[in-house]
Order: sequence, then structure tokens, then C-alpha cells
Amino acid sequence: MSMLTMFATFVKIGLFSFGGGYAILAMIQQEVVTRHGWLTASEFTDVVAISQMTPGPIAINAATFIGYQQAGIWGSLVCTFGVILPSLILMLVITLTYLKLRKLPWFKNIFQKLRWVTLGLIGAAVILIGKGSFDGLFSVLVFLASLAVYWRFKVNPIHLMLGAAVVGMIFG
Amino acid sequence: MSKSLLSIFFTFLKIGAFTIGGAYAMIPLIKREVVDKHRWVTEDDFLDGLAAAQSCPGPIAVNISIYLGLHIRKGWGMLVALLGTMLPSIITIILVAELFTHYADLPLVRKAFHGLKPALVALIVVPLIEMTKNAKLNLSNFWVPLVAMVLVGLLGVSPIWLILATIVFCVGQSLWLKGRLS
Repeated sequence: MSMLTMFATFVKIGLFSFGGGYAILAMIQQEVVTRHGWLTASEFTDVVAISQMTPGPIAINAATFIGYQQAGIWGSLVCTFGVILPSLILMLVITLTYLKLRKLPWFKNIFQKLRWVTLGLIGAAVILIGKGSFDGLFSVLVFLASLAVYWRFKVNPIHLMLGAAVVGMIFG
Repeated sequence: MSKSLLSIFFTFLKIGAFTIGGAYAMIPLIKREVVDKHRWVTEDDFLDGLAAAQSCPGPIAVNISIYLGLHIRKGWGMLVALLGTMLPSIITIILVAELFTHYADLPLVRKAFHGLKPALVALIVVPLIEMTKNAKLNLSNFWVPLVAMVLVGLLGVSPIWLILATIVFCVGQSLWLKGRLS
């Protein structure tokens, strides 16, 4: 597969990833797993899990990981540059117009409504990640325990993930 | 307050290296470094930039680094800020990808991921519930996220179509309102 396809795919992911973080997952999954088959659904979930424990935005992590797996260092640089290119252009425009664009009513209206869609996209990410994660009683128990701990005690996500990994190694 | 490219680079490198778990963990650290410690931008400018970064497509951390870099030292400021934010994750992920190709199939690694994956779902569900509470949904709009979730999560529709449809709808709505007013 060509560098150009990878570059174009990640430009597309960057351009349509509104709402940051989890809302982007469905978009990445659609392109990388469903359309191009660069990762299996299970590998994709692995990458998302790794992203939670390493620094940086998930879109950057996914782009670097997939680029590296497909075409080495150059692949990772091409994909990563692709995913930030739309941000670079759009943020430049917004900043250089002194944020005027953002104050226009029609522009604000779009982002108000996109926020609702974004919620749905995060919901979709739960479904997509859930599909690759639940395979029996053990995973349901880990999910419920994590939910309770994270909800009640607001622990650091890394500590929660490390704890779950240890539980997996012992009982999984 | 030193505005040297080197100090901008190292400040954003620190921000990039120490924020694990997404942009929401990153924002307080960025504010502390850039507004409180270095006084490179005012709090108002920071908040304007944050709002812009959240409404622009792309990773929020990347967007805000572009905005802040530009504010601090124009084009070069933007480049070093961006490089600083991204370098820790790029290097870490390349190392992980290299290890992953060799060790992903080891039984112990598979067992670790067996525990990690359901915890990951919980990590997404909790902020989703909190965001839903804050979204001020009502009877006229609560179906929007539900429909988006079903279309993308269950029916495999690309989020691109939903985003384009939303933009087209909003532009149409704005034009219609404008037409009615004039």
C-alpha cells in the first residue's frame, strides 16, 4: 500500500475528527479497520489501550503506530504529519483572523450541533471497543469493577489500566 | 519571561511528555506552564484559544499548541511548540510498535490485554456519562446522539457523513433564519 494512500487517509481522519479523544475513535476505526484493513478490530483495541498509557493524543498515537507498522519510520512520520495537517491549516486561519470566525452566529451554530453528534460518536466508540473487549464473565467483571472504581474514586486512568493489566495477567 | 525558542520547545516537550490520558488531563498543565509560570499569554487569550482548539477538528492538544506557539513567537513559535507536544508521543509509540510486533502474541501479554480492554471501555463510559449530563439535552435533541451512536456504532456508517450532514443542516438553518429576518 502506498504512502500516498496512508497520507490521504490520515488527512481525512484529521479533518473529520471533531470533539477530540474518544470521539475520534469511531472515525479511526472506520478508516483503519473497516476500509483499509491495516489493523484487525482486536489490534485496534490494543492500540487504543496502549494510547491510554502513553503520552499524547490518541489520533497522533494511532497515526504513528499504524504508519510504523505499515512502512517503518517514514510511514509513521507521513501518517502523523497527515493527521495534523488539517489542524495546522484551520488553527492558523482561526488564530490569524483573531478568532473572529468563531464568534459568527452560523459558525457557532455548527459547533453547538456538532457537540450532540460528538456525544453519539463517543457512544459508538463504546460499542466498537466493547465488541472487541467482551468475551465472557471475566471481562464483564473487570468492566464493572473498573467502572465502579473510576466513577467513585476518580483514580488516575494509568493506575486503573495498570491494575487491570495485572488482574488480567493473574486471572485472565 | 524568556521567549526563546528553546524554552518554548522544552515547555511544550514537558507538556507532551507528562500528559497521559487525553487532552482533558493536559489543559490544566498547559495553563499552569504558559499562563501562570511563563506568562507568555494572558488567561483570556488562553481561554479563547482553548475554545477555538475545541471547536476545530483534530487533536485538542495539537490545536492549542498551534495557537499558543503562534501567540508566543509567530511561525517558529508554532513549529517548536508543535514539535515539543508531539515528540514524546511519537518516540514512545515507535518504541511500543517495535516491541509490539515481537511480543504482542506472548500469552502473558494477551492476558494483560484481556484485563486492559474492559477497563478501557469503563474509561470511555465514565466521561461519556458526565458529558451527557453537561450537554443540556432535551426532548427536541436527545435523539441526535442516539441516532449517531446507532448509525456509526452498529450500522457502520462513517462519521464523515454525519458531520457533513450536520454542517449542511446548520448552514441551511442559518440561511433560512437570515432569509426570514430580511
